[in-house]
Amino acid sequence: MKVKAKLKGDVVKVKVLAEHVNAGPEEAEKKKIEPNFIKSVIAKANGKVVFEVSGSGFISKNPQFTFTFKGAKKGDEVEVTWTDIKGNTKSKKKAIK
Amino acid sequence: MDRRKFLGLGLAAAALVPATTLNAIDFRDTKPDTWKAVSTADAIKGLYGDITPLEEGVNVKAPKLAENGGAIPVKIKSDIQAKSVALFQDANPRSAVAVFTVSEGQPIDYTLKIKMRKTGKITVIVEGTNGKFYSKVLPIEVSIGGCGG
Repeated sequence: MKVKAKLKGDVVKVKVLAEHVNAGPEEAEKKKIEPNFIKSVIAKANGKVVFEVSGSGFISKNPQFTFTFKGAKKGDEVEVTWTDIKGNTKSKKKAIK
Repeated sequence: MDRRKFLGLGLAAAALVPATTLNAIDFRDTKPDTWKAVSTADAIKGLYGDITPLEEGVNVKAPKLAENGGAIPVKIKSDIQAKSVALFQDANPRSAVAVFTVSEGQPIDYTLKIKMRKTGKITVIVEGTNGKFYSKVLPIEVSIGGCGG
């Protein structure tokens, strides 16, 4: 997973790229793979949840998200975690630039 | 599953969900009907119940013509103080794409890439902290369908 976080004014802009097949049942059948997709992505900074999304197989392969949040400064860490429907999970911490 | 049973489950699920918005809501677990719904109307109903959203306050940007239906960039922006933001489309086997939980006081400024197997409409609903709902519908023409279409 790739995470970039940059402070501009009082807003942190975060880019997330998760490597994942992200295929719902119909697509998986066609590609002859097991259906699996990211069901949730959560980002935390300074102990608070700042971003949260429940996903589906209709988000693109290797899902990309950008979001913004307030309440952090340069050097603070953002931690992004995704979980897929099979229970796999991945986290990444990144300092805000 | 027949429709009556399906709706009944929806009511049961709705009753179990606490009224307050806490962080770390997994909408896939708390609102299962939303994700099974074929039509956007049913998906919205599964998530928010019977609502009549105002058609204002939500800014959605997406290409008018998407060459690759497998990764259509969608940008959602709004100044509304919100609890949640939901994205639907009517081109895939089921409607719900993503539901964002807005943490208290945080801005709505999201981008993501979605799949659409054919030309259709995306619908974004913003649930305001004031209890009102806001919506934006945007047509997208898809030349090569994504989602294994």
